Formats: sequence, structure tokens, C-alpha cells
Amino acid sequence: MTTALLDHADELFAALAEPNRRLLLEHLGAHGAATATALAAELPVTRQAVAQHLAVLESVDLVSSARTGRERRYTVHVEPLTAAARWMNQVAARWDARLAAIKALAESPE
Amino acid sequence: MAEDRVERTVHIAAPPERVWDILTKPEHIGHWFGTGTPATVDLRPDGVMVLAPAGSGERYLAGVVTVDPPRYLAYRWASAYPDVLADETNSTLVEFHVAADGAMTRLTVCESGFASLTIPAGRENFASHESHSRGWTEVMQGIVDYIDKGAS
Repeated sequence: MTTALLDHADELFAALAEPNRRLLLEHLGAHGAATATALAAELPVTRQAVAQHLAVLESVDLVSSARTGRERRYTVHVEPLTAAARWMNQVAARWDARLAAIKALAESPE
Repeated sequence: MAEDRVERTVHIAAPPERVWDILTKPEHIGHWFGTGTPATVDLRPDGVMVLAPAGSGERYLAGVVTVDPPRYLAYRWASAYPDVLADETNSTLVEFHVAADGAMTRLTVCESGFASLTIPAGRENFASHESHSRGWTEVMQGIVDYIDKGAS
């Protein structure tokens, strides 16, 4: 179990906060590895902006890259994302349990 | 930011004032948030609520932010730091919204501010059963679901 999320939780959430970066992740998740040039052609963002967003995503381990020919190809790295989702789901599950307890208390005779 | 908050809602067949009592009275908090013993509650801005979640064996010093009976209660909770008074650097903001909804009361809780948290090693509390045997399809679905949720 990685603790990458927990060491860099603030950077991870900050990286995810930018809509174009989420779009890039979604595209890489749906279509597989791609270069910055190919991503810029698919998305309403310049190649330079795509490259900057990819650098941010790579800094928090959400994507990894490998050089093929003249360009780097980027791949979604899922573990930090699923760890974040799992963590948030667990926080939500705890609140569901507490809200159920509040409901039971409120609806019981005083 | 959607990634930075958890929001849950429940509908309760009781008046808002009754729900407010459950949210704020020491003996009730002791039941729904704790081990059964009454919680210590100083219900005013900058007051301290001592929370002892069931099963943790620890207590947390939550800082009350806003009290607006019976509609709105907010406090900061340093869920990674037992015995440390919650402040803006170590805690998340927990908000309760209470509103009449027809014959029912709608109670929404929102916990936010995870982005500014750094969780100490060893206190992650990940659900271990979920960390095994996840296939690639599930992982990809997880990404898409997560991003969809974040984008909405």
C-alpha cells in the first residue's frame, strides 16, 4: 500500500483541482498513453499548456512518461488517484454511519 | 473543490429542533460520535468540543466555529491529531446544515479542507480489504468515476 497520497496530499489535491488536468487524466485513462502533441490536438488546450499540466501531474505521480522517438509518451499512474478515492470514500462511509445514528436517535421517543 | 470535500445527506422524520439537539447535546454526541459517555461541549464560537470516536480509544479537541440553532453548526476537527486543539492548519471543517423538508428534516454534513492536511505516517486508516485484488478494469472505472465526480 503506497503512502504517496499521504505524504503529498495537499499537492495531489491541488493538482486535481485544475479542470484541464482532470481532462488530461480522463483522456489518458480512456485512450491510453499519448504524447503532449497528440493530447493538445484532442483537447482545447495549447501544446505548451498541456506540457505544463503534464509536468504538474508527473510531479505528484499521477502520470509517468517514457521517451519514444522524439517525444515523451504519458501514461496515467492510477495508484495515487485510487488511494485518494479510497480515502475519501472511507471518510464518507464514516459520516454515513454517524448520520444513520443521528437519524435513529432523532426518530426514537424522547 | 469537489475533491476536497465529502458531503452526505440524510432525511429524518423529526423536527429540525430535535435534530439540532441530537447534534449538539453532550449525551447525544456521546452516542452518535462516541463511545456512549457524554461528550464535553462548549457550544459557542471558539468553544471546544471533546470528541471520543467509538473504537479509536482517543479524544479529539474540536474547535467550534459557528453556532446558528437550529440551522447551522460548524467546527474544525483535527482527526489526525488526538489531544491537539484543531486550528486551520491541522484540521478539516465539519459543517452541519439542518432544514425542514416537507414533513421531514434534511440533515447535510460537509467535511472539507483535506487539501491542506498532511496526515502523519501510520494514521492513514486505509481500508485494507480494498487494497487487494483490484483488476485493471475496476481501477480504470475508479478513475473515471472519480474524475466525473470531481468535474460535477
